[in-house]
Amino acid sequence: MSQVPQLLFKNRRPGETVFIDGYRATGGYQPLEKAFREMTPVELRELVKSSNLRGRGGAGFPTGVKWTFFPADAPGPKYLVCNCDEMEPGTYKDGELLMADPHQLVEGMIVSAYALQTDVGYIFIRYAYEKQAEYLRRAIAEAKEAGYIGKNILGSGFDFELHVHGSAGRYILGEETALLNGLEGQRPNPRLKPPFPATRGLFGQPTTVNNVETIANIPHIISGGAEWFRDLALTPEGSGTKLFGLSGHLNCTECFELPVGIRLGEVVETYGQGVWKNRKFKACLPGGASTPYLTEEHMDVALDFMSLEKVGSRFGTAGVTVFDDQTCMVAATLNLIQFFARESCGWCTPCRDGLSMVRWLLEKFETGKGSPEHLDMLKDQLQNISGNSFCALAEGAMGPVAGLLTHFEQEIIDHIEKGRCPFKS
Amino acid sequence: MVNLTIDGKQITTSKTSTIYEAAKENDIYIPVLCYAKKLLPYGACRVCLVEVEQMKGRLIPSCTTPVTEGMVVTTMSDEIKKVRKTVLEFLLVNHVVDCPVCDKGGECDLQDLTYEYEVVTSRFEGEKFDLPKDEANPFIERNMNRCVLCGKCVRVCDEVVGYGSYSFINRGFETKIATAFDRGLDCEFCGQCVSMCPVGALLPRPFKFKARPWQLKEVNSVCGYCGNGCTVTLGVKDNEVQTIRFNDETGVNDGNLCIRGRFGYSYVNSNKRLTKPLVRRDGVLKEASWDEAIQTAVQGFKDAGEQVGIISGARLTNEELFLVKNLSKALGTENLDHSGGECYKGVTEGLLETLGVRASTATFPLVEKANAILAIRSDFYETHPVFGMVVNQAIRRNEAKLSIIADKFGKLSKLPNARTLLHKPGLELNVLNALCHVIVEEGLAKTEGLNGLDELKAALKEYSAETVAELVGGDADAIKQTARELAGAENAAIMLAYGLPYTAYSKELAIAAANLALLTGIAGRQGSGLYLCGEKANSQGAIDLAILPGGKGMGAQQMLAAAGSGELKALYLVGEDPLVSYPNRSLVEKALEKSFLVVQDIFLSPSAQMADVVFPAASFAEKAGTFTNAERRIQQLHVGIKSPGEAKTDFAILQLLLKELGTSAPATPAEAFKSLAAETPGYEMVSLDMVGPQGYVWGGDNLEPELKQLVPVAGAQPLADKYQLLVGSALYHSGTLSTHAKGPNAAVAAPYIELGREDAAELQLVNDDMLKLKTVEGEIQAKVKVDRRLPKGVFFTPYHFAELELNKIYSGQPAIAVEPVKV
Repeated sequence: MSQVPQLLFKNRRPGETVFIDGYRATGGYQPLEKAFREMTPVELRELVKSSNLRGRGGAGFPTGVKWTFFPADAPGPKYLVCNCDEMEPGTYKDGELLMADPHQLVEGMIVSAYALQTDVGYIFIRYAYEKQAEYLRRAIAEAKEAGYIGKNILGSGFDFELHVHGSAGRYILGEETALLNGLEGQRPNPRLKPPFPATRGLFGQPTTVNNVETIANIPHIISGGAEWFRDLALTPEGSGTKLFGLSGHLNCTECFELPVGIRLGEVVETYGQGVWKNRKFKACLPGGASTPYLTEEHMDVALDFMSLEKVGSRFGTAGVTVFDDQTCMVAATLNLIQFFARESCGWCTPCRDGLSMVRWLLEKFETGKGSPEHLDMLKDQLQNISGNSFCALAEGAMGPVAGLLTHFEQEIIDHIEKGRCPFKS
Repeated sequence: MVNLTIDGKQITTSKTSTIYEAAKENDIYIPVLCYAKKLLPYGACRVCLVEVEQMKGRLIPSCTTPVTEGMVVTTMSDEIKKVRKTVLEFLLVNHVVDCPVCDKGGECDLQDLTYEYEVVTSRFEGEKFDLPKDEANPFIERNMNRCVLCGKCVRVCDEVVGYGSYSFINRGFETKIATAFDRGLDCEFCGQCVSMCPVGALLPRPFKFKARPWQLKEVNSVCGYCGNGCTVTLGVKDNEVQTIRFNDETGVNDGNLCIRGRFGYSYVNSNKRLTKPLVRRDGVLKEASWDEAIQTAVQGFKDAGEQVGIISGARLTNEELFLVKNLSKALGTENLDHSGGECYKGVTEGLLETLGVRASTATFPLVEKANAILAIRSDFYETHPVFGMVVNQAIRRNEAKLSIIADKFGKLSKLPNARTLLHKPGLELNVLNALCHVIVEEGLAKTEGLNGLDELKAALKEYSAETVAELVGGDADAIKQTARELAGAENAAIMLAYGLPYTAYSKELAIAAANLALLTGIAGRQGSGLYLCGEKANSQGAIDLAILPGGKGMGAQQMLAAAGSGELKALYLVGEDPLVSYPNRSLVEKALEKSFLVVQDIFLSPSAQMADVVFPAASFAEKAGTFTNAERRIQQLHVGIKSPGEAKTDFAILQLLLKELGTSAPATPAEAFKSLAAETPGYEMVSLDMVGPQGYVWGGDNLEPELKQLVPVAGAQPLADKYQLLVGSALYHSGTLSTHAKGPNAAVAAPYIELGREDAAELQLVNDDMLKLKTVEGEIQAKVKVDRRLPKGVFFTPYHFAELELNKIYSGQPAIAVEPVKV
């Protein structure tokens, strides 16, 4: 355990928060000084691109590539927005990161803004993260005091202002265009794409939206280099470390920084210290509530984007939620669908009404009123809803349903045949 | 251009098209619910999903996806059918299927699609909502249990109308559309939302349970109210106009209407309509035969010799106006005029002096592409609401910069980033001069080909932005900003509305506006325009046909004065009610009293009550002919219903008069159009078959000025009086006609005096208190309406209502000094 390189969690101590002195003591703001004194924005963008850093917010889009869409050199107002609206069940890593070491995000925002030549940045933070927002505001004030934020940073001629904006707090605000609407004070519906935010985002101006963990990685890439960063991963195509938020039926449900590509089995056994109550592993969500289930047979799968896609799931946010063998997977899926159906913004039909109907079907099974026709209907909805909605929410919501049907169809049939939930006496 | 294949058909289309639009252009059917031509792409309902070969693995929303080169699209397959059917099933889960009592039945998109996709059973179960109906207003019923959340009402109210009544609230399955704080709808009631609703969630209340859509005969006509010239499609049953149907295919208004157009039609069905000719016998108006009435009128005219005057309204068709002109010839009089004779006269004279034309130089749709817009008078939206909606779209779609020269705030001031150049009453000219001053001083003027520049420059010296700002109580920087925007814009528009309540300085205003249009190059530049918008449906036609005093003839005001003094013996009023709507009531009263008076109207108006002969006329819904709107668009009216009783069209009445006078008259309006076209400048080459569904704009999109003459005009001085009354139009009404219509009356039924909160507090007035305004001429009184749009010391009252007798104190001045007294 001790050999695992710690970047994001290197200053993390139980119950403590590191501010500017502690952050500097371990090399904080040296990458920023290096970037401003030695690197051009173009070099920075190239560096991030060659580091293979992929977005840590769930979709996993390569950050450097995303940045190439951004018109960094065009005149006029442009914005950098950090998505800290972390609200997916089983995902809490950004909150942990900010509780431990908020300056990482601040430094990351400044150097990213420099790379993208945006003079205003916003951190859009979940309403429930009151403490984190308070720490961020303090960190921003300290950075300003130190001359890292404001006019003519380190004599570079580059100006940057950074604001923390509290979210009104709904899951849909994590969708980047809904977030932009929310930031503008509008109802957070997702926006039509194209135009993409890089062309027309916040207040109609070019905007890049990146996740907290993504941005926090940038200073480390600057100090360690792209090759070092890529080599941190255990898979050849992966790069860097990842914050894994463990939850569910494990003996240890904490957040760990582990290399990308670590085996599922190692996460469960070594870090989660095995399934609780001496029970057996039944399934897990590998990357938050919107990723299809993995089962016992996947223990050797490397937790990385490509390898998880190959087995029909997704890396997502690396929030690993484990279910023991006494869990009813129908009930577990119903629980998730209740969340997603409630959090649908109500814009498009498949999500607004379709998810409600999936919830209704799962309720039928769970209460023993389901029929084989209902099972066919549920299968049908994978095609009717997934891929046909306005944004990715419904598609994500159908992830666990897809997993349920792939791995646990028999459990549904048991519910139908018994006319009750077999896990309830 | 982009090439693509849809259902095997090779298609070339604009690169800005979506798949849906490309399909539609080529008559390939794709079902939609949330798509609307005039709204931004939305993509919420998901019934328009199609397959695109290049985007395999998921279905693609055709209404939001732009076409790309080589795209191969399939609009129907088993999978598409299944997904669409499921979407419909989803929508029906919580929809109250109360089609038998729903007014939308027969033209409901959800009903039609359910039928088409044979959604016979719903496999899903869910709660049906039981939300209360919103019937808080008399125009629009909202039944959210029928809503499919396509968002069209939210979008049209924001994107087109610029009001923003609606928004989505809640989330997930509970999502619904609501008004502010989920209270009853309270807005300007244009009904755009009703016209867009694909289901029965929003319905026009006056039409409830009146007819099934297929029972209605649809007749395209042109709205009889203002100079905007919107197409109204009459829904006719039992010889009554039952409703106005949605039509975005015909005319210039893109299916948009205001409250007057959509809900103000009911006066045509009114049981107060005149149905028989009336002749005064023993001092009392009595019903008479047409023969008697015509003979009495003609005898009266003959007795007057050449001492006859004709004052026409501007709601007559071009063909009718042509006969009015013929009648003046037959009577041997040059005393011919229309609509008050002051405002339009000044405006057109001013324009003639500077640009050599007497009409707007460009068309309405061009304004949507304008980068900078100047509206002169805050009431512009109130007089021409649908043109105001085009301005809103220019702002929202193209980020146009709007400035308003205004003595009070209005709807336009509320549009995004609108700059209101507020001034004390009566000082529009000063602000216009200041704009010209900035443009000249900063070297922004496009001086090529302009005459009179030096004289103008010299005259503008006293009108620096700072000096004017101080005088008018405005902001010099704002004036400069506006001037720079207008001068720098690629496409720009200057808009000036005119009408009976705006008679002061009208010639000078037109000149000052034309000076600005010349200095900025707006006049005559393709894509830009100076818009002069008449108050009435055919104001422009009346100017085009020269319903004006000829030779030594008298104008309206002179005629009234002459009739009062006994110099004129007979007056013929065609569709005008000067006693109510003209300035200077005592003058009008005397004129009508002393002369032999013939009045032609659809109601027994206060003027008609004083007549010797009254002819019952027909409304716009009962006649054929053409109107020319404020952008020079000639459009055809069609007969929707028969006139009540013995009422006749103005055309038919004029025919009878001409015949009685022994003169020939054209047999039909079509024949009259031929004759009038031959002798009307701009119309020479126009024949009726050129006046198609989109009308025909004489002079084209860009009317080249014949002159480029700058003419200095002097500004005015503000009144010193503490309280000043402004006269104008209210949004819900047009002229005096709309006060006979249920719709506008349901919104505003009686006259009112509007004032700001500060004045209200000082005078201890609250809404509905009775307020008397005294002047040396007389006094008026009405209920108080407290609002936020009036500056301190400034009152406003609309001029439409007979009972106010506003013209007792209004004689055409820009602002009336008044003394307020609480009653």
